[in-house]
Amino acid sequence: MQVLATHAEITDSLTVFADNYNKNERLKIMNRDWNRVVVIRATDIESLHTLILRDGVVSLKEGASENPDLTVISDSETLADIFYGDITPTEPYNNGTLRIMGSEDDIIRLDFISLMIWGE
Amino acid sequence: MKHVVSVSLGSSRRDHRVQVELLGEKFEISRMGTDGDFNRALEVLRNLDGKVDAIGLGGIDVYLFVRQKRYAVHDGLKLMEAVKITPVVDGSGLKNTLEREVVQILSEKTDLLKKGMKVLMVSSLDRFGMAEALFDMGCDMTYGDLIFTMGMPYPIKTINELEEIADRTLPELVKMPFHMLYPTGKKQESQDEAKVQKFANYYYEADVIAGDFHLIRRFMPAGMNGQTILTNTTTREDVEFLREKGAGTLVTTTPEFEGRSFGTNVIEAAMVAILGKPLEQITPEDYQDLLRRLDFQPRILNLRS
Repeated sequence: MQVLATHAEITDSLTVFADNYNKNERLKIMNRDWNRVVVIRATDIESLHTLILRDGVVSLKEGASENPDLTVISDSETLADIFYGDITPTEPYNNGTLRIMGSEDDIIRLDFISLMIWGE
Repeated sequence: MKHVVSVSLGSSRRDHRVQVELLGEKFEISRMGTDGDFNRALEVLRNLDGKVDAIGLGGIDVYLFVRQKRYAVHDGLKLMEAVKITPVVDGSGLKNTLEREVVQILSEKTDLLKKGMKVLMVSSLDRFGMAEALFDMGCDMTYGDLIFTMGMPYPIKTINELEEIADRTLPELVKMPFHMLYPTGKKQESQDEAKVQKFANYYYEADVIAGDFHLIRRFMPAGMNGQTILTNTTTREDVEFLREKGAGTLVTTTPEFEGRSFGTNVIEAAMVAILGKPLEQITPEDYQDLLRRLDFQPRILNLRS
């Protein structure tokens, strides 16, 4: 049986992700001019969030946003695992479990940010 | 005659064929570009397997060396594994040896590289040997991997930070589709205008621009003021491109045959054919020894004459 994460767990994972990002001064410098809206959508439960990157700082809000630059789509468990740092986005992205809609430059950059937070 | 073929994910416009003599032995060296078509590259490699003396893989790195660590680019490995009989190399073994030596030669025998000079490496993780040699000789380095690959206005200034970021990210990034990390096929023939404009100052402020030519070309602004370009593979058209942009001197790390310098993958493949040893038995010392016997010298071309 497939394990489902709850909306609250996804919210918590995204909060952990955003907190870790915002504690990383180097990442804030690296992304100081990368203003992006990233929507995170679960496919198996009702769960929508928006990460907003502005002037190098990330904030999180519940719900979707119009005209996002990136949309991250996966099942709830994979989303929670990625944003808690339990798995990297690379494998689910390559096997199609994780879909990211947006420009390739933005996708690779989001992957890089995740690796800088959770990498080895 | 020995036959060496470079199969490249790059543009077929750069295809060519030359005959050269190395240590008294005749070689036919050719290049086959596949315009970024990964499946076509696989097909070409399978067709050549067992029919030529050595194959070089161009337009893609298979192995990235960062000090003692080696990271394998998954797409590159897939290409390499398509070849079962003929030795196949990507140039990374030679790059790590040859490009360190070229830095030493330029600093000892020319005025083109001096301690304190500002050097922009548009990408350095594909040629860590050069990156480290330039840092060790005291150049004021800007490693542009994050600037040009990620679009981040973040110059890496030390070899230690470069290594630290590589350790965190490369184990996963090498699993991504290669075209997301490096321009392949037609992209190699165009410039990324947004990044050219946004990051032009990194080029203008440098005394030397070093690294992979496709990347140097992709992001080079007009109005350069005589900088030295330290790279590997260039054609006559590339030389004209650099002249038009205002570069001052071109240094290529690999020798020139019939008006163009070849990629390290081609030279490494030729060296493997000369050595005649199984790949796994070839050491950096073998390459160093052979480089001395071949007496390869960097090619230095004044672009303003």
